[in-house]
Amino acid sequence: MKKEVGINQLKRRDFLKAGLVFGAGASGLAAGYAAVPDAFARAVYAAKSEGVSNDSVLVMIQLAGGNDGLRTLVPLADPVLHDLRPKLAGPMVSQALPLNSQFGLNHNLGGIKGLWDRGKVAIVQGVGYPNPTFSHFESIRIWETGDPTRRQVEGWLGRTLATSYDSNGHPLTGCACGATDTPGALRDLQATLTVIQNQKTFGFTGGSEVEAAVGALYKGTPGIYGALFDTAIATATETMATLRTSSSTYQPMADYTDNVKLVYSSKNQLAAALQLAAELIVTGTGVKLLHVTLGGFDTHYTELNRHDDLMGYLDTAVSAFYQDLSAHKMADKVLIATWSEFGRRPRENASGGTDHGAAAPILLIGDPVHGGLYGAEPSLTSLDDTGNLKFAVDFRSVYQEILSGHLGADSASILGSSFDRVPFLKAPVAV
Amino acid sequence: MQQVASPRTSWASGWISPLGSESARVMHLLRRATFGYTPSQLDAALSDGFSKTIDRLIETKPAEPPLLLTADTPGGRFPIAQLQQWWIDHMLTTPTPFAERMTLFWHGHFTTDYRKAADNTFMYWQNLTWRRMSITNLRSMLVEVTTDPAMLRYLDLATSTGQNPNENYSRELMELFTMGAGNYGEDDVRDGAKALAGWQLPQPDSFATNNMNRRLPVYSTQKTGVFNPRRAYRGSVTYLGQTGPLDTQGVIDRILAQPATAVLIASKVAQHFVTARPTTTYIAGLADTFRRSKYDMKTLIRAVLTSPEFTADRAYRGLVKSPTEFMVGAARALGAASLSRLIAGSGAGMGQSLFDPPDVNGWPNNESWISSNTVVERVNFVTAAMSQMKGPLPSSSESVRTHLDGVISQQTASLLNQAADDRARWFITLASPEFQLK
Repeated sequence: MKKEVGINQLKRRDFLKAGLVFGAGASGLAAGYAAVPDAFARAVYAAKSEGVSNDSVLVMIQLAGGNDGLRTLVPLADPVLHDLRPKLAGPMVSQALPLNSQFGLNHNLGGIKGLWDRGKVAIVQGVGYPNPTFSHFESIRIWETGDPTRRQVEGWLGRTLATSYDSNGHPLTGCACGATDTPGALRDLQATLTVIQNQKTFGFTGGSEVEAAVGALYKGTPGIYGALFDTAIATATETMATLRTSSSTYQPMADYTDNVKLVYSSKNQLAAALQLAAELIVTGTGVKLLHVTLGGFDTHYTELNRHDDLMGYLDTAVSAFYQDLSAHKMADKVLIATWSEFGRRPRENASGGTDHGAAAPILLIGDPVHGGLYGAEPSLTSLDDTGNLKFAVDFRSVYQEILSGHLGADSASILGSSFDRVPFLKAPVAV
Repeated sequence: MQQVASPRTSWASGWISPLGSESARVMHLLRRATFGYTPSQLDAALSDGFSKTIDRLIETKPAEPPLLLTADTPGGRFPIAQLQQWWIDHMLTTPTPFAERMTLFWHGHFTTDYRKAADNTFMYWQNLTWRRMSITNLRSMLVEVTTDPAMLRYLDLATSTGQNPNENYSRELMELFTMGAGNYGEDDVRDGAKALAGWQLPQPDSFATNNMNRRLPVYSTQKTGVFNPRRAYRGSVTYLGQTGPLDTQGVIDRILAQPATAVLIASKVAQHFVTARPTTTYIAGLADTFRRSKYDMKTLIRAVLTSPEFTADRAYRGLVKSPTEFMVGAARALGAASLSRLIAGSGAGMGQSLFDPPDVNGWPNNESWISSNTVVERVNFVTAAMSQMKGPLPSSSESVRTHLDGVISQQTASLLNQAADDRARWFITLASPEFQLK
């Protein structure tokens, strides 16, 4: 998508790229010491001349650490699974919630199974990319940027924000809920977005006097980090103003209480993060792209209980979130999608866990979804030379469907190419 | 009300570096290699000068923290906040703050999450070990890291066997701790996992039964992992280009024979202490020095701190203080030794809770510390710290010179000039963007 870009935006983006975040070498660093006048800090709010103008909302749920696809969507009738996983396969197959004769959901995904029965869950099987890396951080980067060649540095949702949304005065257009730092998927130096760890504590404890002083202090800050600091404070202040009005009108219409006792990942407040997402959506803050994270999926060890707990955590949070949106008559606007950097090795290890894998399913949930199974089941007998599942669907096919079909954004421009369709949406808007 | 004379900044060129002056270099060094300073610590360093201060920082043996009395709680089941406060207390009062900076550096590099380690006694031991080894030799350090009980649990080596190896530690040892992705293959991960298998957690000194009738281990002295040959791999492996039988020391020696290892460690140290974007030439020189010293950490650190890059104009305020550095530095500037509880509880909102890293890659740095959530939390910490300060505050008349080098923005200057009293001036100083940088 071509659009008019003001000279200040270009300058800011270019020197930040060269000098701060992703540049290389001494010349880039020296360039980073160029001026950061106040106008540059404000440039991130500049209006987009073109872009999307619907009210669709996307919520991406990151299952960090590498989610075990075979324990999420369980093959019910494949005897090879029991050979590969003598400890793990038995209970996961016998307890699974069958979707058909071949596949069942993890037994702790009862709420999501209920949504499946109502046609609101699409599962794309065998999602991955060519020549997979087994490094968490490299694969996370690939999924975040949407680029297996590792040339792209901005996040795919960040690029979407920067190119397709008018975030002028609306820093909540993109929001990371339950986090302290910007998720890579939302990162783009031209994208305005907010990071809120906990809505209840998001504010200046010193009150309006401090808010005013800090607003004056963080203006036109020089140096390579100046614009980032100034933008962070300006964004926070605007968001606080928005939340002050929204919090008084939002009443949760679902129970977000987590009833799963997590083994060691109690730091993952997915339910709280999704409740904050619901509040932002139903109170009309203009939020479009949300990102939340549930960690703990790197189950090298005692996976049986650990992964079941995480599935339960996901189920509780997503079920409550859907119910809340539905009660507020907003469910038809919102698409929920999971992602994880990779699946896990089909063969279990000595620790009752599984090591890093490759292809895995993605869950897409919500009223916009045309329920069912998509993609293709990866074979347990024809593994790749690392003993991992071969992918059937490029993850960017899923991104493309989300971007074009749900958000109405220019997917080819954002992803840099076109991919095979995966028609999991009921009424795709522009593909 | 004291007027700040003319603010030394220029809109055309970012912060004006004061590093041409010896006193500014000393303050720059203390900000980057320690946790800030009290007035008397600054005076001592200024009287020693830049070079002598580097010698003192590097050559002084790390001071041990006081014993943590709850460390022998059965199962290590004492609150992690106790361990966090214990460490922060030591950061606030230690006579060897450089050792604490290095301990924090290694905690982020050879990282471990207390949740998965699931025994806070192990986390306590790890902190003691990381401090003792903090400026020794990478070869011996890697043995200590591999056999550290908290690490054995965190990256699952304690449950790996030669027959059915767990790849977690083998992969991260190469990817994150030493060589970096792209310098080894998946076969190396697999065969490395075989060669490393056999380590187990140490036997407890005794057991205790808690009120839930659970049997919990009790450790009265610090221990390392133990090697059980029956769980090890029998046979030869092909690892980093060579085939044959291989033990843990052999794995480490082969890793150290790879040029990528010195490059990764040198790069991480340079990014931590010097610049977010070191040049490849700079890193190559440091890595060469490090490798020729047979991986002596003191040699590497000295090369980093004495390099022209460390005090180059463009290095000035080129790094963002981590939340812990910011909070401990603020407490030291205020002369407050009693803020450890507040500091321990405030890190999470800024993205850094000690012993609880976000993932196995430890904490991110610089621009990752800046978001709408974290900057507000930094300001809120200053608000809370000021309100917890009993009695009169230290005079703020010198704070712009001693903590901000007299290099401040128009806005900071203007707000300081409007400030009514010491309290307001300290608030502006510590909450300013200038104080978040180093």
